[in-house]
Amino acid sequence: MTVVPQSGGGPVAAGGGGGGGSSSLYDVLELILDRGLVIDVFVRVSLVGIEILKVDARVVVASVDTYLRFAEACNRLDLESRDKAPAKLPELVGEITEGGARGKSKGALTGAVEAFSESFRKGRDTRDTGESTTAGADAAGEPAEYAAYADGAGADGAEPEPVRERPRPRSGQRRPVRRREERGDG
Amino acid sequence: MSVYVYGITSADHPLRLDGAAGVGDPARPLRVVRGAVLAAVVSDAPDGLRARRRDVLAHQAVLDRLTGQATALPLRFGSVAPDDEAVRQALDERADEYRERLAALDGCAEFHLRAAVDEDALLREVLRQSGEARRLNDEVRAGHGTQELRVALGELVAAEVGARQDSFAAGIVDTLRPLAREVRRSDPTGDDFLSASFLVESARREEFTAREAELAARYGTDFDFRLHGPLPPYSFV
Repeated sequence: MTVVPQSGGGPVAAGGGGGGGSSSLYDVLELILDRGLVIDVFVRVSLVGIEILKVDARVVVASVDTYLRFAEACNRLDLESRDKAPAKLPELVGEITEGGARGKSKGALTGAVEAFSESFRKGRDTRDTGESTTAGADAAGEPAEYAAYADGAGADGAEPEPVRERPRPRSGQRRPVRRREERGDG
Repeated sequence: MSVYVYGITSADHPLRLDGAAGVGDPARPLRVVRGAVLAAVVSDAPDGLRARRRDVLAHQAVLDRLTGQATALPLRFGSVAPDDEAVRQALDERADEYRERLAALDGCAEFHLRAAVDEDALLREVLRQSGEARRLNDEVRAGHGTQELRVALGELVAAEVGARQDSFAAGIVDTLRPLAREVRRSDPTGDDFLSASFLVESARREEFTAREAELAARYGTDFDFRLHGPLPPYSFV
């Protein structure tokens, strides 16, 4: 598969060409495994791990744990920024500081928020509470090994494991379900 | 011997398969099963097939090659028919349907975009813009951190974060949609806030990737845009 070079920030998944190695296989795995034409008279081989993609996608949490995590993160943030630049800490309360000097990309973020209209995503009403991560439960007891898809190893050596949960640290909550009523006080 | 099916093409597809390997270890050789007006690329199905890395890549590579030559309908990974005759029957029975879809996808490829945003950057933004969030945050920090107060802060911040992510996602899709023939969004996984597939005509490919690059540049280093393509049109069959 071909991977278009990126110009965006952050770590970039640079894939190998030629349909061979591909550090970005994870991103398209869902397409290969869960989309594509299905012909009902054909059998679909049982594939351990396919469900995991879906489970992962539905870990939607609006729980107390999630809120506490966010609260903790905000507290930590504030303290960090004081440690870094105590002299520059602006008087925040009750006032929006629009100076562009406070770290990278603030302007971009603000602009993006303001430039785009609100969207109401459908299909988000599943109000699960609590993290229901059943992913990774595997009868064979094999270790979670997503790395097998993320690096070039295993293409011709010992066969790696089938699809597993991606072993990146979950940051807990992804998609708060509650809609915001208003945009802060700005 | 059961048969693994990779994709469906029209009968006049070039079907140059030389050198391409199928699923299995050792890789099963590819062959073509022909119906009246359609063809399917197949191989023998190995026993105990699972979604191993090499097999998923083989499936993808075969389809990559096919779609690089002319339009093809990618099958979902792991589709197995009892024998060649069953494949031929399936091709003929639903020939109209498949031809219609092949025509609709003619000259198009799928581009899949995922995007994530640095959470700390987003939280700073929320605190900067929301006086209420700041007020709650300060109260908690000042030692009035009852459970109730912290939950209230977290709930407010979570809603703000979600609203911004939804807004980013909508903005990105809206910017790219005019360059795509079809768009299909799906629930983002992991830390992503966007997962979307775009069906893009080959004539607009460069324009599409250029605009995506502009977007990524505009959003800046707090964002991680990952664009994949051109891919077989998995999401549009």
